[in-house]
This record gives sequence, structure tokens and C-alpha cells, in this order.
Amino acid sequence: MSTSRFTLTEERKAHYGRFIRQFRRNQKAMIGLVIIVALFFVAIFAQKITIFDMTIQPFSLTPHEPEATNIQNREESPSLQHLMGTDDLGRDIFSRVLVGARISLYVGFTSISAAMVMGTTIGVVAGYYQGLIDEGLMRAMDAMMSFPPILLALTIVAVLEPSLNNVIIALALVYTPFIARVARSAALSVRNESFVEAAVARGESDTYIIFREVLPNCVGPLLVQASINIAFTMLLEASLSFLGLGVQPPTPSWGLMINQGWAFMGDAPWLVFFPALAIAIAVIGFNLLGDGLRDVLDPKGEIIE
Amino acid sequence: MAFISYLLKRLAFMAITLLLVTLIAFGLTNILPGNVALLILGPNATEESIAALEAQLGLDQPLYLQYIDWVVGLIQGDMGTSLRYGTPVSELIAIRLPRSLLLAISATIVSVTLSIPLGVIAAVRKNTPTDLTASMLAFVGLSLPIFLWGLVFIYVFALTLGGFPTRGYVSPFEDPIAAIHHLILPASAMGVALTAYIMRMTRSSMIDELSEDYVEFARSKGLSERAVVLRHALKNAAIPVITVIAFQFSYAFGGVVVLEEVFSWPGIGRLTLTAIENRDIPLLQGCIIVIALIYMLSNFLADAFYAYVDPRIRYGGEE
Repeated sequence: MSTSRFTLTEERKAHYGRFIRQFRRNQKAMIGLVIIVALFFVAIFAQKITIFDMTIQPFSLTPHEPEATNIQNREESPSLQHLMGTDDLGRDIFSRVLVGARISLYVGFTSISAAMVMGTTIGVVAGYYQGLIDEGLMRAMDAMMSFPPILLALTIVAVLEPSLNNVIIALALVYTPFIARVARSAALSVRNESFVEAAVARGESDTYIIFREVLPNCVGPLLVQASINIAFTMLLEASLSFLGLGVQPPTPSWGLMINQGWAFMGDAPWLVFFPALAIAIAVIGFNLLGDGLRDVLDPKGEIIE
Repeated sequence: MAFISYLLKRLAFMAITLLLVTLIAFGLTNILPGNVALLILGPNATEESIAALEAQLGLDQPLYLQYIDWVVGLIQGDMGTSLRYGTPVSELIAIRLPRSLLLAISATIVSVTLSIPLGVIAAVRKNTPTDLTASMLAFVGLSLPIFLWGLVFIYVFALTLGGFPTRGYVSPFEDPIAAIHHLILPASAMGVALTAYIMRMTRSSMIDELSEDYVEFARSKGLSERAVVLRHALKNAAIPVITVIAFQFSYAFGGVVVLEEVFSWPGIGRLTLTAIENRDIPLLQGCIIVIALIYMLSNFLADAFYAYVDPRIRYGGEE
């Protein structure tokens, strides 16, 4: 018994090494990764982080206070003083775009992490137990996927009152079924593998089998799905904030900045242009990573978009 | 025969899903804060008048009875009365839905005319700078939210170049020229946003077909490259592409919620947002159900078409 487990880990290690090599060779994945690392850098160093009395992150990339208004300097075009100009309240757009990276990544990662926990649980349980449990869970997931994502998200946010946290809850719920579907089909495909049957024959508990045998084999497709879905949550957050049903002012979310700058687009297009560029760069980063990961992990194309 | 039974099975599944959809829509909208009777009567209403109106509207009933009433009404085409407008929800939707469909269908037409030639060219010139440029543009296209495409089109074609209205809708039955004039920008904005997916699909399925033996055979018969590509390969590559187009239509229909706000297009998307703003629960429920139904139907038709042309799907079971 112990030998069989030993060879399994060895096999996994070799598998992991192969994955790293292929990932490094994949241009799309590497460019995506570079963009994402840069985004994290901007998000972390955008402003000082102070928890209680401790300043964890002592310096700040933002040249101006992102929420400080200055009516005399409103709608200034980009200059050395204000790299991306100022908005209708005289706030420095460059500083706000930098802090916006924080909001965007925060929303993307928290909502998808929550969706991963819920979706993977639902999907693996459905795929492992099959039968009625599977039917019931997957029909519920189908029903949630029968709404256009934006419609479901904005209804949930409207019901809970628009706020940053409620946007995250809504996005997590909207993307749970997508993750659940992938987790289920991955669980189904390993369900009948000999190593799972061996574990059942050894009399291992369901929890052991699910966590030690089934889940590790679902990681690949789930990673691809998560990466693509983070890009989607960023787009959806931007759309919700643009409609005024997302992050609330004065928090500098990119979508909200476009919502507020849109009316001045004719005279001061930079109010919209720079946050839009930021959205595009972030989403392209995650899409590239997702695409590259898919090339490496899922060459047959089983992932749904 | 197998196709019919596949279709019936799918329809049965859809009926169950639809029932769950009504449950979600009803459940969600009933969490919405605010007393409906108080909203109708205004802040000066007495407690008795509120109670009387609640009894009249059936709001004093337990929630599950309200749900059953609502579903029975839905089946009969009765979605209740809008609190904001005071008219039947079904009438409000009947006026606005065709406008949204017009926008979504036009957008799909725009994206098909753009994306299929682009996809074919990219596939034929696989791995050349042309292909790389087209694929990169498609990637950028995928990465911008639909509302941003709307703003880009307004900025470039209405504010900078001029000649197009930035907002509003004109009925094609009243003034066809002005109607098209108002339709061009929103339809193109959404069309371009949809182009990326269809183009990528066309490209990859053309590449698959062009590597098939029959293409080599057609070439060896002495057919021109143009005939080989357009008459043989494209015909076979069309199957997955048509499926993607149907999925894209449903995507477009979801996108109208945001795009209608950008262009002040008075369709069902804006009606939904108005319903949310005014806490108009019956109207919101109606809009949600109708949008979800159309979304489901177009996805269903895409699946059915795919199963019809590709019998492997049917025997593959549910997956």
C-alpha cells in the first residue's frame, strides 16, 4: 500500500515539473503572468498600508492623495504634474488609477476564491456521489446559468444594496456554477480511475478520497477556469460600477471612474481613457494567463467560457 | 428519431430549469427592502389603508402562496401591474422587448459580417503577421467591457467625427432612415465586442478543416485555392461557428442591459434598471423572467442545432 502511494507522489512530481517547463515555454502565459505581477506591484505599493499603529508598507507610489479634491484644478489635461490629468473634482487620475488596481484585484481574487470554494465543493460532491445528489445540484447550477451574468449580478447587488462587499458576494454567486461544472466533469473523469477504485477498495473514507485522490486531479482545469473567470469578474465589476450599482464613491474603482467621467468625455476624454486602459490591461493579463494555462493543461478544450 | 428524443429530453430539462429560474427570480426580488403598499400609497398612508391595499394585492398571504399565484399568472401571460407606471407589466415589456431584440440581432449581423471574413483570412494565412495582428486584435476585443465599446464609438463617431446621434431610439415604422441612423452606433459597438469570439472560432475551425484530406483532394483536382477555401472548407467549418453565433446572440442579449444605458436605448435592459431604481418588484420580476427566457431559448437552439448536425453529441449523453 505504501509503495503504491509513493509511486503516485513521484508521478505527480514529474507531472508538476513537466507543467512548469511547458508553462515557461508558453509565451501567452508568461506575458500574462508578467502583467499580473506588475498589477500586484502597483496594487501593493500604491498607498501606504497601516494596520493599527504599524506601517507595513511605508512608501506610496501615488504622487497625490487619490481622494483629495481641488476644484481650481479640475479637468486639467495630462501634464508632468498630473500624468493622466485631473477629473471633474480636480482629483489626480494617475493616483486614482493606481489605487483602482487594488480594488480590481481585490474584487477579482476574493470573489473567485469564494466561487472556487463553493463551486468546487458542489461540483466534486455532484461528480463523486452522482445519482440524485448530482441531478439536484446540477439543475440548480443550470438555473443560475440561465440568467445573463450581468443581470443576475446586478439583481443580487440591488437586493443587497450596492457596495464593494456586496459586489463580491454577487460575483462569487454568479461564477460558482461555472466552477461547479468544471469541477464536476473533472471529478467524473477521475471517479472511475483505478487509483480511486483502489482507495475505495482499501476502505478509505469519502472525505479522504475526495480530498486526497479526487481533488488533486481536478486542479488543472479548475486553475484554467479560475483564471478566465477572474478576467470576467473584473469586466463585470467595471460594468456594475459603471451602472452605479457597484463600488460606491469616493472609492476609485475603474468602472466607477468611467461612470463619473463619462459626462465630460467630449472635452476631457482622459477622464475615461486612462481607467479604460487600466481595465483593458488587467483583463488582457488574466485572459492571457488563462489562455496559456489552457494550452498547457487542457489541450482538448474542455473548459467552458 | 434519436434527435427527436434528444430534443424532448432537453426540453424536459429546460422546463425544470425554468421552474427553478422562476423560484430564484421570485426569491431574490422578495428580499428587496421596502414595503410595496407603502411605496404605492406614499409616506402619508395610514396603517389601515396599507393593510387594505396589501390584502387587495395579496401581499398578506404567505410567501409560497404569493409565488404560486405569480407563477400561475406568468403561465397565463399576466405578470402583474407595475408600481411605477401603473400599467400591466406585460404591456410595458411588449413595447420594449422588440427594441432590444432589434439591437441584439443587428449587433449579431454586424459581428458575423466582420468576424467570418477575418477568421477565414487569419486561418488561410496561419502564423503570418496578418494572422497574428487579427488574433491580437480579437484578444483586445475580448478584454474590453461592452459599455466601453459603446463609449469608444460615441467618442470617435459621434463626438469627434460627428454625423451620428449619441443617444435615443426611433421606431423603424415611423422613420426608417432616422431609425437606422440611431441604430448604427449601438449595434456596431456591440457587434465589434462580439466579433472576437466568432472570429477566433472561425479561425480555429477553418484551420482544422484545411488540414483534412478532402481539402488536399480538392486541390489535387485542380480547384482554385479560393474555391477550396470558400466552397469546401468554409462549408464544413460553419457548424461550430453557427453554434458560437447563437451563443453570441444570447450574450448580446445579456449585454443590452448595459449598452442600452450608454445609448439611452429604451429597451428591456433600461426597463430593468428603472425597475431596480424604483423598487418596482412586479416589473423587475417580469423583466428578469423574460430576459432569462430569451437567453435560455437561444442557448437551447444553439445546442439543438449542434446536436442536429453532429450526431455524436446526442449519443454522448448529457455532457
